[in-house]
Amino acid sequence: MRMPDMGTLALRVFTYIAMAFLFFPILITLLVSVNPREFILPPSGFTLEWFKAAWTSDTFVRAMGVSLSLGLVASIIANTLAFLAVLAMVRYDFKGKAFINLLIMSPLLIPTTIFSLALYVFFARLGFGAGIPALIIGHSIHVLPFAVRILTASMQNFDTSLEEAARNVGAGPLRTMMSITLPVIKTGLISSFVLCFVLSWNDFPISVFLAPPGWTPLPVELFSYIKFQYDAVGAALASSLIIISGVAMVVIDRMAGLRRVMQR
Amino acid sequence: MKSRGAVTLLAPAVIALTIFVVLPLLWVVRTSFNQTVDGAYMVSAFTFENYTRFLGSSWYLINTLWFSIRIAVITTLISVLLGYPVALYIAQTRGLQRSVLVTMVLSPLLIGLVTLVYGWIVIFRGGGLLNSLMIALRVYDEPVRYMWDLKGVIILLVYIGMPYIVLSLLDSIERLNPSFVEAARNVGANRWKAFWSITFPLTLPGLYAGLVIVFTLNFSAFAVPLMVGANDTQMIGLVIYREALLNNDLPFASSLSVIMIAANATILTGMAFVFGKLILNRLEVKR
Repeated sequence: MRMPDMGTLALRVFTYIAMAFLFFPILITLLVSVNPREFILPPSGFTLEWFKAAWTSDTFVRAMGVSLSLGLVASIIANTLAFLAVLAMVRYDFKGKAFINLLIMSPLLIPTTIFSLALYVFFARLGFGAGIPALIIGHSIHVLPFAVRILTASMQNFDTSLEEAARNVGAGPLRTMMSITLPVIKTGLISSFVLCFVLSWNDFPISVFLAPPGWTPLPVELFSYIKFQYDAVGAALASSLIIISGVAMVVIDRMAGLRRVMQR
Repeated sequence: MKSRGAVTLLAPAVIALTIFVVLPLLWVVRTSFNQTVDGAYMVSAFTFENYTRFLGSSWYLINTLWFSIRIAVITTLISVLLGYPVALYIAQTRGLQRSVLVTMVLSPLLIGLVTLVYGWIVIFRGGGLLNSLMIALRVYDEPVRYMWDLKGVIILLVYIGMPYIVLSLLDSIERLNPSFVEAARNVGANRWKAFWSITFPLTLPGLYAGLVIVFTLNFSAFAVPLMVGANDTQMIGLVIYREALLNNDLPFASSLSVIMIAANATILTGMAFVFGKLILNRLEVKR
């Protein structure tokens, strides 16, 4: 083991400063949310009173319900579509595979602004405008490529002889799917589900275009709150979002590797 | 016979993407030729007036299109300057340290804009942390405005763009064969020389991938200028958002989207050309 030379040392110092830059706003939000004296840093104690205020506010509780159901429904839709598509992409060879792959990844390639506007204009044309269906579809389609990526990775490592064995001892296609395929790729499915949920749960750009009045997801509600009010209750709400995202990140990292999942 | 199974499995996703991505995009193009009528919603037509309204106005061209391009270029370059050393360092680490660093780099991507902006507001405010720090360090004497200002927008775009740069560079640095750098060092190249003649050219593809993502992201940004921008921060994504949702002018918003996509594609093509040349030149030299 040799001592790090000057160059490596300089890189390390630079990296730590950059990490501080990336992590500072997150840390600050967490600190403000448990600080009894609003915004006076460093914190002079510890309180959960802001959290209590945030989690008992009717508006926020309602928005949380919206985000929760939106995230769950979008994740279920995205993962179902992704699971079937990945099964075809991994197991079959056919013409136009590259084109299908491009189509499936397209929601990631189009700027979110354009994707949201396109859905908004399209639903307006159909006579609905922004509404719950548009919002659910927008979220599902947007997270679909991420689900496809995780599921592709876990399905590629799949040993198909397991399925053949099940078929040989007389299991039907459905039985094989339930007792072999799904259990084997379980971790992939769970991390894909968690990732889709957390991306939807934290989304602002799509929701702000497509959410109907009265059905506002949490980030949009937080945005309108901090626009007019600046207090530690906002920090507590932001911290709640951070904590949930943090837990999700740990789960995804353990199961699928965070880095591979986020690579574009 | 085998591919029948594939068709059935692919159908749901392909149909959903065709109806909810391809058709809406085509519909945006069609809508951009519609006519906007005061008071009414919009009238089906075939007119170029939405395009001429934007492209014929030097105010829009300079303060929106050119402004957005400049901001996107500046913030992308700063992200590269900050991200490259970080990627180089992370590539040298192993085990737990590496996974902690990678998670820290990635966390802003998963946490979501509004939440992050909350922390930045605390940092940006007049008497906030950034100003206190800068005044303590004697960088300047009076508090400076970051919130509702272009400075805040630039800081946030760099903040959000940097992780993507680190990620794509890390990927190509790891693919780099370490014996190349060692060989250069053995024949007497110092660290800088080895970096410029080996590491840098061989990571150009990764750098290019990162630039494409971050430039596109920042060029089309609307949430960041909406949340921390000022009145003169008229980035094109924000103008699209405002025209569509606040002014309900869908034809104009649609034509702006077409212009934005076209401008983005042109710039990316230029970038691909430059990078292609750079990579080819380096290969020639190597031979």
